[in-house]
Amino acid sequence: MSPESEKDSFEKRTRELLDESTARLDGRTQSRLTQARHTALDRLERPSRFGWRTLVPAGAAAAVAMLAVLMWRPDAPAVPTAHVESPVEDLELLTDAEAPDFAEAGEDLEFYEWAAGEMET
Amino acid sequence: MTAFVTLRGVYNTPLLSIELGVERSQDQDLMTSRALEQFLASVEKRAFKIAQLGLRNDDDALDAVQDAMMKLVQSYASRSAEEWRPLFYRILTNRIHDLQRRRTVRGRIMAWLPARVDEEEEFDPIAEAPSHEPLPEKRLELDEAIGVLESAVAALPARQQQAFLLRNFEGLDVAETASAMGCSEGSVKTHYFRALESLRARLGEVV
Repeated sequence: MSPESEKDSFEKRTRELLDESTARLDGRTQSRLTQARHTALDRLERPSRFGWRTLVPAGAAAAVAMLAVLMWRPDAPAVPTAHVESPVEDLELLTDAEAPDFAEAGEDLEFYEWAAGEMET
Repeated sequence: MTAFVTLRGVYNTPLLSIELGVERSQDQDLMTSRALEQFLASVEKRAFKIAQLGLRNDDDALDAVQDAMMKLVQSYASRSAEEWRPLFYRILTNRIHDLQRRRTVRGRIMAWLPARVDEEEEFDPIAEAPSHEPLPEKRLELDEAIGVLESAVAALPARQQQAFLLRNFEGLDVAETASAMGCSEGSVKTHYFRALESLRARLGEVV
């Protein structure tokens, strides 16, 4: 078997396995995907009049800002994590104005609001 | 009288054309909606699998796919149908990356907080119970091969994983993959080649 045909066969086999895995998706997941599709198509018929920014609660936005400041404090203790990454990355993500999906679902803002409360106490 | 007829003539013409325009627009919207539904139905399962391997969490993967669907419908429905696939995967790829970054930040924030907030993991005896359903030998072999492959794909560096899944699994060509990944075609080839080499080295004869 030539290296090229071996490569083709490997690619083919991996694709077959992933196809098989996809075909086995459980009914609950398939149902949720169908719901997601219908929800998305509903937006085509009834486009949202408001952008996410108009829906962001002021308290949650303040919580994000507070977290950003707390994490940016020069006298703050070192973050106990295995990752040695710059806090600039966290700050960038927390204040990323170019990420309109950032707060769309609201779940992150709820988390940051809660986390800011925890930090205060 | 003449003036009245003339006025009616003046007003009737644009009114008629507006009504026709509305009908045509509704027909177009219906066609677009049907085409979009067909497109989304054709990609949703593979999109979920790609998101699942990237995020290693079913709920996050479902969220990512739904967000990508919504974004495509809201922002790119008017584009030609040929453009939807690379656009959809571009959105999905960005969404997966965004969720991975948020997860990292969340992890770091949680590390700042008192330990008690970490103690919310609940044991679900039903979910954790082993299945006693007997499986045929063939099915077990297939299950094992799928499990090993998916673990290896999930462990690939993000860009290699994207290139491998979009090229090999989703079947995008090099140009479409480059568009979906937001990089050059040369980078796609490099990431794909490295992904294949890494998977081959890790999986050997298993698959």
